[in-house]
Amino acid sequence: MADTPEAIKKSIRTYLFVGGILFLGTITTVLVATVPWLDVGAHGFDKWDCVLGLTIATIKAGLVAFVFMHLNHEKKAVYWLFASGLCMVCSLAGLTALALGDPIFDSLFYSGH
Amino acid sequence: MEIPYVVTPRKDTGLFNAKIAIWLFLASEVMLFGGFFSAYVFLRLGADYPWPERTLPVLPGLINTFVLIGSSVTVVFAWASLKMRQWRKFQIFMGITVFCALIFMVLKGVEYNVKFHHQAVRLKDYTIMEGHLGVEKEGETPVLDHHGKQIEENLIYVETSKLTYNTVRFHKPWVEELLTQAEHEKSKIILAADVTAITKEKEPAEVIAKAGEPLSIELLNKIQKAHLAARAHNGADRTAALEQEWVKAHAAFPDKRDWQIASGVNIDMKALTPKLLDEISTVAFSVEPATRFDFHPRDIKQADGQSRLRDDTVVDGKLLDSPMGFHHIDAIDFQYLVMKAAAKGISPEVAIENSWLIKNSPFAREAWEWHQGEIVKLKADLLKRYGVDKEGNPKRFPTHKELYRIGWKDFAKKAEDGGHAKLSSADSFKEEFLGPNYDARGDETFPEFSIPREQVAFAAKFTPAWNTYYAIYFTITGLHGLHVIGGALVLSYYLFFGRKMYLTNPEWLANRVEIGGLFWHFVDLVWIFVFPILYLM
Repeated sequence: MADTPEAIKKSIRTYLFVGGILFLGTITTVLVATVPWLDVGAHGFDKWDCVLGLTIATIKAGLVAFVFMHLNHEKKAVYWLFASGLCMVCSLAGLTALALGDPIFDSLFYSGH
Repeated sequence: MEIPYVVTPRKDTGLFNAKIAIWLFLASEVMLFGGFFSAYVFLRLGADYPWPERTLPVLPGLINTFVLIGSSVTVVFAWASLKMRQWRKFQIFMGITVFCALIFMVLKGVEYNVKFHHQAVRLKDYTIMEGHLGVEKEGETPVLDHHGKQIEENLIYVETSKLTYNTVRFHKPWVEELLTQAEHEKSKIILAADVTAITKEKEPAEVIAKAGEPLSIELLNKIQKAHLAARAHNGADRTAALEQEWVKAHAAFPDKRDWQIASGVNIDMKALTPKLLDEISTVAFSVEPATRFDFHPRDIKQADGQSRLRDDTVVDGKLLDSPMGFHHIDAIDFQYLVMKAAAKGISPEVAIENSWLIKNSPFAREAWEWHQGEIVKLKADLLKRYGVDKEGNPKRFPTHKELYRIGWKDFAKKAEDGGHAKLSSADSFKEEFLGPNYDARGDETFPEFSIPREQVAFAAKFTPAWNTYYAIYFTITGLHGLHVIGGALVLSYYLFFGRKMYLTNPEWLANRVEIGGLFWHFVDLVWIFVFPILYLM
């Protein structure tokens, strides 16, 4: 971890660079959602817009976590703690997927049509 | 005793106390927000109505994203400044961070406020209309309720001749409101008949209140007191009588279990009745002369002849026309109607043509016809840009929302196409935050409209009551907002009260700021997902 003043001074440029990427990522997300000719998949919101939007968001979140929150050079204990929380979330989200995979789940009804 | 590992890390974990604590906390936070995002997915997939896609104002959301990202950069700079022992720089960067939190909350407040004042109504045929309600007026002056607030034109009017209060459940503010209305209308609410009751055992009935006494909270309280005293007395008598019966039954059948003799244990009501006092569960007041009283739709179950308030007050009287008065309509949405029609195999166009709104509102018909023209243009544009597939079908076609919703921007465009004045770019920019500017655009763009009560199926402001989308929107953004406030308070504490610690133990303060910063980054990280999911999808 950048702990000495010299090392911190060096990492300031990284922080600025990451900040810039986060700004650009946000603009990209808005553009692909609002500018018709940048729209992926079908016209309007569809699963490809969802995939693209969430991919950009995940990259941005990853940058915040790894650079700003220093997860790129943390101690083992922190990784264990954070990973366990993340695993719980994935299990929760997995429940949704299980419900969708249930043959009794009426996808036509739930799609609202 | 000195607390270990405040500044120096433990050897086994390599972490100081606060660091491990904040990561434990953040792990629990990940689960909390993860749970809400899962709930969002469930609600969206399970919605039995057209999910409001891309319905929130993007510009304020975008600015808030920039603000949070910016503050994430400045908070890490603030920490770096402390590490380099530059107090002044720390103050500047931390100051900017806290200021960013303030901007975020102000914008969020504006966004919420617009929602709290924006009215939606679903008609019986599933047409949805949005806009702002007018206010009750007498001539040009708005009528005020007993709190001195303006009253929206969304009331149920009953020409009331009699009010029967439940003496236990009556709601004090509603009594006061009706008294204010009666005073305003110069009518009287008086006790319809003497209230007589036996209030003491073995004594004759006494008059508690005389016919003609005016309605007041004190009077209702007095009757309530007599009622509750009688109820308590009667309850105690009944219990004592039942206990006696059990004693007798146990003596008569010493070998039997309670459940075997229970059916034969009954109170001797003949003996008990003379001892009971009179309970006064309701009390009737007549309104002289019969007067139009106004009730909020959520408080009354209206019916001609006899209506009932939520506090069990019975309102006798003729139900008058009680239309819902929109001062300005700013959206007409047929998506839900089309969805319901499709389930019955009816084509969208036929369903819309036969909707109550199109049949009864020339403005809505004109808007719908204009909108269809726009859709033809959009279809042609999509065909020109993207062409057709192998089977000759257009590759891209308008969305359900584009086809069947006429939003406020459409109404604005329609008026501008029709030659009405355009707004200045500053005013248009303001609209992105505050919604349509009725005053500047005028009635030609957003007309007044009155909906008969019998057509109203459900009405609400854009609050969690309106649908599950707004419920989860307010839950997630509200919880996130609380985190912003909490984080800003902690960071402000370091900014304004950290100087002393900086002078004695700067490394400890740097560690604290790092922990506060970690939380702040997490708040930013959550927003990075909230923004696209709620605002753009």
